[in-house]
Amino acid sequence: MENRPFIGPSLGIYTGTGASHSWLWFVDLFEKAGFFDLTFLDEIDVRRGGLDGLDGFATAGGDTFALAEALGPRGAEQLARFVENGGIYLGSCAGAYLPMRSSKIPLDQFNFVDVRITNLTSALPTPQRMAGKFCTAYGCRFVFHPVRETVTLVIDGKSPAAGSLIDAPLYGGPGMIAAGDAQVLANYQGFTDKTLFLTDRRLAEKTLIGTAAAVRQEKGRGVFYLFGPHFEHPRYPEANRFLLDAIKEEMDRKPVGTEKPTFWRRNARPSKAGKALVRDVKRELSNARIVAAGLEMLPLQWRIGEKIYEPTKIRVFLDSLWRRIRPLEKADHVHFTPGCDAKMLRLALEITETIRTMKHRIDENLDATPQAKELFHRLQGLSKAFLQLYFDTRAAEAMSDFASFTPIPGELN
Amino acid sequence: MGIKIDALKCTNCMACEMACGYHRDDGFAFLSACIVPYRAREKKDYFGVLLKEEDSLVVARPEGTEINRIGEEADPDKEADASAKPMLLREACDLCEDMKYGPMCVKICPVDAISVAE
Amino acid sequence: MEYLSNDKILVVDLAKGDVEEEELSEELVAERIGGAGVNARLYKEYADDDPIVLGVGLLTGSMYPASAASVLTAKSPVTGKLCHCPVTLKVGIEIKYAGFDYIVIKGRSDKPVYLWIHDGVADIADAADVWGKDVWETTDAWRKGVGDDLLQTMVIGPAGEKGLDCAQVCYNYWTGPDRFGIGKLFGQRNLKGMAFRGMGLLEAAEPEDFVDEAFELLEAVKGNAFMSKKGLGPICAALGEADAEEWLSPVVHRHSADYFTPYATNTFAFIDEDPAAVTETAKPEPGVLISDIPALLAFKKLGLSALDAAKAMQACARQGVDPMAAATAGEKGGKTSIDDILSQVAATTEPAAMEGNGVFSPWCPRKPIFGDFGASDTDAWWERRQAVAAIFGIQPVFAVMCPQLTEESMISLSNIGGELELDQETLDTVIGDIAG
Ligand code: SF4
Ligand code: SF4
Repeated sequence: MENRPFIGPSLGIYTGTGASHSWLWFVDLFEKAGFFDLTFLDEIDVRRGGLDGLDGFATAGGDTFALAEALGPRGAEQLARFVENGGIYLGSCAGAYLPMRSSKIPLDQFNFVDVRITNLTSALPTPQRMAGKFCTAYGCRFVFHPVRETVTLVIDGKSPAAGSLIDAPLYGGPGMIAAGDAQVLANYQGFTDKTLFLTDRRLAEKTLIGTAAAVRQEKGRGVFYLFGPHFEHPRYPEANRFLLDAIKEEMDRKPVGTEKPTFWRRNARPSKAGKALVRDVKRELSNARIVAAGLEMLPLQWRIGEKIYEPTKIRVFLDSLWRRIRPLEKADHVHFTPGCDAKMLRLALEITETIRTMKHRIDENLDATPQAKELFHRLQGLSKAFLQLYFDTRAAEAMSDFASFTPIPGELN
Repeated sequence: MGIKIDALKCTNCMACEMACGYHRDDGFAFLSACIVPYRAREKKDYFGVLLKEEDSLVVARPEGTEINRIGEEADPDKEADASAKPMLLREACDLCEDMKYGPMCVKICPVDAISVAE
Repeated sequence: MEYLSNDKILVVDLAKGDVEEEELSEELVAERIGGAGVNARLYKEYADDDPIVLGVGLLTGSMYPASAASVLTAKSPVTGKLCHCPVTLKVGIEIKYAGFDYIVIKGRSDKPVYLWIHDGVADIADAADVWGKDVWETTDAWRKGVGDDLLQTMVIGPAGEKGLDCAQVCYNYWTGPDRFGIGKLFGQRNLKGMAFRGMGLLEAAEPEDFVDEAFELLEAVKGNAFMSKKGLGPICAALGEADAEEWLSPVVHRHSADYFTPYATNTFAFIDEDPAAVTETAKPEPGVLISDIPALLAFKKLGLSALDAAKAMQACARQGVDPMAAATAGEKGGKTSIDDILSQVAATTEPAAMEGNGVFSPWCPRKPIFGDFGASDTDAWWERRQAVAAIFGIQPVFAVMCPQLTEESMISLSNIGGELELDQETLDTVIGDIAG
């Protein structure tokens, strides 16, 4: 690492089936930290060995069952091998539930970490509000969510920060009780005036306070980190710092890597066609954004899998890409893996078309859920491809600034 | 305290949207405003004002104000995971607590259609 | 140009079907300020192509009161002069927020097209499906196609496609200030119109100072007695047409304003719906938005009821005909019944007679409304006032209504917001140059 310009550790981010939009928060956090060597993986990439060579792999929120089902036994195997061989697994919310011990199919393939969750019940308490966000069936029991939004955590363990308090947002993540080798890093300490109670306060306190919010467990040469709240959420700098420090500590423990940055191995090249591609993607992002903004103020929501999506989430994706257009327009060369451009453009065009169809259907009072489902699928796909291009370009730029580093081989095509 | 809108007084000028956008982005812009004059029914001359509050979307119509709870299930029988928080990009009205003029939309509305209600 | 601007000039070549972008230099702004001032310069630069130039005012879309307007500049087939036609309602500001300050349109397309301008992207799009359609159908089709109800448009109707001098460029669904036959120029170029939408952000150099001064100005504006009134009725009364308000009242639904324009200068007339209705009407097309005061009064003079005048206005809006031209033709042909006038609207070919210098549109009443400007020579005052409005982007009717919107305040806010050093001398030079 020392003999190359800083583009951070090689980190993977899960973008595939079961992921909601919260993986974009990891993207923002890593970019802010100057980590440009990012790899975006869906379930197929994971199953095909895409975790090989990565230092870390982050999985954020979403639908745990869908996630586990998509990854399947192959994915579970790859994940286990990744950590055994020294990988750092970072899971928040659904990403935290995934590797816990469970006897439920398909979660039983991911029995890696010795924790129990405290927000599991067979007698479901009555929700006070947001009934739809209150619980998920888990076999014959229920995973329920007593509160949402900001909670206060207390740092545990031997670190110098032990005892200090930080805020983090909870959107359905677990309260945990560690067993075996699992080590508690932070506990739920209390609620804030921003905490939204979905059940009565006493039950919420009983379920969460004093239980673990962040847990670390070593496995082979690697390690699992489980975060109940979204430590990666952009509006919680203390929680962000905690997460980044954890990555840094783990990296310091690792033997110095000899691996090339992953964007090299992906064969991302500077391309003259890149500018035109960025322009074409920009056009469609604008087209889609315009429709999305119009949908946003309508009280609408769609159910996709086990999740509820509001139109605003469309814009979370679109804006995340939109604000990265400008730097690409300014970049000398846009780097991407040959072949990904046609796919990206097709997805961008389909997104515009789908969202326009949704608008027409909503205007005519027709259900737009199937289109919404398609749309989110395509948004995930485009975000994955586009952000890969973006970070390959940023990484290549950072590397080419470094004199001792020869630029990427290969002609401008 | 909250923002009160008299949709019949409103002339649909968009100044409140601009002022709120300014409060969010420190420039002239509309995209982050939480108060938005409704102008999609142009041919019918039907307009009012939408306001996003913490838990609700206020729709000030000429015939009266309607309040929609945000995030409430259309169909409460169905279940869902809670991690799909409605991350509404538009922040809810904060009554411009950090602005020296107080609520910017109230200040700018040329026809005094907006006021602060206790 | 960093502030109050997108820093972009777009040059569209309809013949070649391509677009190019240039930067808007600070020097150009320092010399020509904005709006009609810069438009005239760009026209000159591309004079060989006899272009249509669209430009935003320096203050357009800001927190300066009534900063609603943009301006279309072209050689008028009616007056033969370079004319400056205001772009009103919410169309004027959308241009700026869609990412361009100036758009130069040259050449003629060999097939019907329209410009789709969004978030700093300019597309020359196919308009074959709307060629032959009226203004309403076209705006509806574009809004539906793009999936956005707030798309802002400039459109020509059949009159423009036929290349008639009375053809108007309409805004969204409504007639506007075009008395110059710019609609004809669009038609000749196979340009059905333009559509704008954007979610841009304009920075001000000293935003807090800008807001302080703008709010101070707004307070002064709100002190005017006319602020208790709304719509066209009181304007007509102030212009000496005392009975017009009562004449109009049976059709009046609501009044609305152009962007941040303190006085509502548009009145919506319901034709086949009860104007007293408060809830959303089930009728998809119940009436017409009227902003053309002289044309409204001209229909009244023909002896029409307000209802019939509204019908005539609606027909003009759909056909893309200047309503003043229709009223004039009606008068010349001795038409006084609504049916005759309506058939006249589709058959109107001649433009209305031009009042004033033929540079600014007499769509805007040619004397002070409500306010006292202390002008001795009203004609000269009006031309100057229109020029100032067209340079800074001020709603033209409000400009002749509200004396507090002084040239001094426009210069001051431009300097604060734009980090400029404009002075009265520069403004005088630009006005002298464009006012003809
Ligand atoms: S009070 Fe402030 S935050 Fe609330 S709607 Fe008005 S401008 Fe927006
Ligand atoms: S500022 Fe006032 S008049 Fe203008 S749109 Fe808002 S509420 Fe309506």
